[in-house]
Amino acid sequence: MIPTVKKPRLAFFSFTCCEGCQLMVLNCEDEFPDLVKLVDIVNFREAMSEKSDDYDVAFVEGSISRREEIKKLKEIRKRASTVIALGACSSTGGLNCLRNRFPVEEAKRIVYGKDAAVRKIKDTIRARPIDSIIEVDHYIHGCPITKEEFLSTLKALLLGKAPEVPNHPVCVDCKMAGNICVFERGATCMGPVTRAGCNAICITYGSICWGCRGTVDNPNMDAHEETLRRYGLTADSVTRSLDLYGGCTVRKKTGRGD
Amino acid sequence: MGTMEIITRKDFRRLVEGLLGDYTLYGPVEKEGFPAFARIERFSQLRLSRTPTHLSAKEFLFPPRETLLRFDLKNGDVREVVDAQNQAIIGLHPCDIHAVNLLDRVFSYGTPDRNYLARRKRTVIIGTECTPDEYCFCSSLHTMTVDRGFDLFLHETERGFIVRTGTKRGRRLLERYTSATKAEKADLERLERMVERKEKMFRTRLDAEPSQLPLIYRGADSSPVWDRIGRVCYGCGSCNHVCPTCYCFDVKDDITLDLEDATRYRVWDGCTLEDFAKVAGGHNFRKARSARLRHRFNRKFRYLADRFKGLFCVGCGRCSRTCLVRINISEVTNEIIRETKER
Repeated sequence: MIPTVKKPRLAFFSFTCCEGCQLMVLNCEDEFPDLVKLVDIVNFREAMSEKSDDYDVAFVEGSISRREEIKKLKEIRKRASTVIALGACSSTGGLNCLRNRFPVEEAKRIVYGKDAAVRKIKDTIRARPIDSIIEVDHYIHGCPITKEEFLSTLKALLLGKAPEVPNHPVCVDCKMAGNICVFERGATCMGPVTRAGCNAICITYGSICWGCRGTVDNPNMDAHEETLRRYGLTADSVTRSLDLYGGCTVRKKTGRGD
Repeated sequence: MGTMEIITRKDFRRLVEGLLGDYTLYGPVEKEGFPAFARIERFSQLRLSRTPTHLSAKEFLFPPRETLLRFDLKNGDVREVVDAQNQAIIGLHPCDIHAVNLLDRVFSYGTPDRNYLARRKRTVIIGTECTPDEYCFCSSLHTMTVDRGFDLFLHETERGFIVRTGTKRGRRLLERYTSATKAEKADLERLERMVERKEKMFRTRLDAEPSQLPLIYRGADSSPVWDRIGRVCYGCGSCNHVCPTCYCFDVKDDITLDLEDATRYRVWDGCTLEDFAKVAGGHNFRKARSARLRHRFNRKFRYLADRFKGLFCVGCGRCSRTCLVRINISEVTNEIIRETKER
């Protein structure tokens, strides 16, 4: 066995999300016996009742959508030496950013009706990724994350290496999987601008890429909008395609404003 | 070698079924309404396609991901992994076979690539005839016909196939599984007419001879075409990955969670991807998409032509077909040819 850094203490935290990414971590059942030899898990609400505020690596799931969450998130940043965004909600804002298309007060009224006045809901702000509040060291993308990427990130950290995050679009994974292009099938897809690393699983199983992993570092969004229009999407459906997972990030990258 | 015979459709079926018994067989199937190479397990799956598949067949010789080494970190051992099996690829068109011939040169150059060459040695190649679609331009690159690189080449006719034999292995297969009869003069004439007809069918042509292209590209480094196509390019790497001659790969390591075993593997890489020319420290030699596209086109028509004595474009048109922003290799090349003539 090659020497690694000292056994780090891992903690998992959850903000506005479905907690599906933590569930993917829990799905690493076969790997846990090896995993716990290398790390101590000290905070993981979905898996255990013990809790500790003494940790090195914080995996943060979910986007930030209440003022109270900002306070908690900053506290986590203070305690952890490494913060890792776990999944789409945390790393790009994810689906939660869809809400930002409405003014906060209107969204509250539509969703909660007369309950909108209770304290917790009153606290609601526009949804945002965690790196709009704190510095993030590493990102694990996806809705949900893949088990493989969680493990490879962890292994890289244990070896003192920078985790590898693909910066090529889903088209690469699609070609390697031998898929017929979604556009050839007569549909449209976010694959050409979306960060790969998912093995193009959605397309391989007959669906399209929705863009859950966020965009590559430098997506050609103008080209993509043009392509979507050329393949028959209206201006409104183009915006919807870009907004599904990109509400908080794609707009910023393309200077559409938020 | 170089003989010509006739086989019937029944012979053809017996040949394919014979191959199924002796080899892992790959060939064109119908996938979601399109021709695509895949593993063939029954004769009925095989759909010989006249038009090109979207992806090339290079994955069977140069897999998208391939393990090269295994490490035992406890004992410090390292072991080479060469995974080659007897396999046959049926349905390669002339351009595809030209591409395999080029890959053979690439992977034999310098330090021979043991993984590729071991697999290539155990691969039977059976070519079939094609019809150009709107993107094909092999006739302009002299790759419309092929006379080596295959074990057997089948030209379909009304009654069966005219077969050309390229290797002893091909001859053995033909003798073992078919009752081939010698081609007559009329058959040879028919074959010539088929080639002539095919030549006339091309809608896409280059406006220069292939031998002139390296020099034409040499003069095109500051052509305005690169910025123009660079603006619309996604940098998605699709042109690289569907190309039958693009052979670049990245090498990576993976370690098991008990940190006791590791593998070194290679994965396809592509020069149009943003991180392809990124080096330690974050510097990127070809940061702009226009620079990456110019590099790719030059690799196809200029840089490799010197080293390997042949253009690295075989005219299959796959990159043009796959490109969502319609960057078309023959149009770009013709534009550069035009600029050169106007200078």
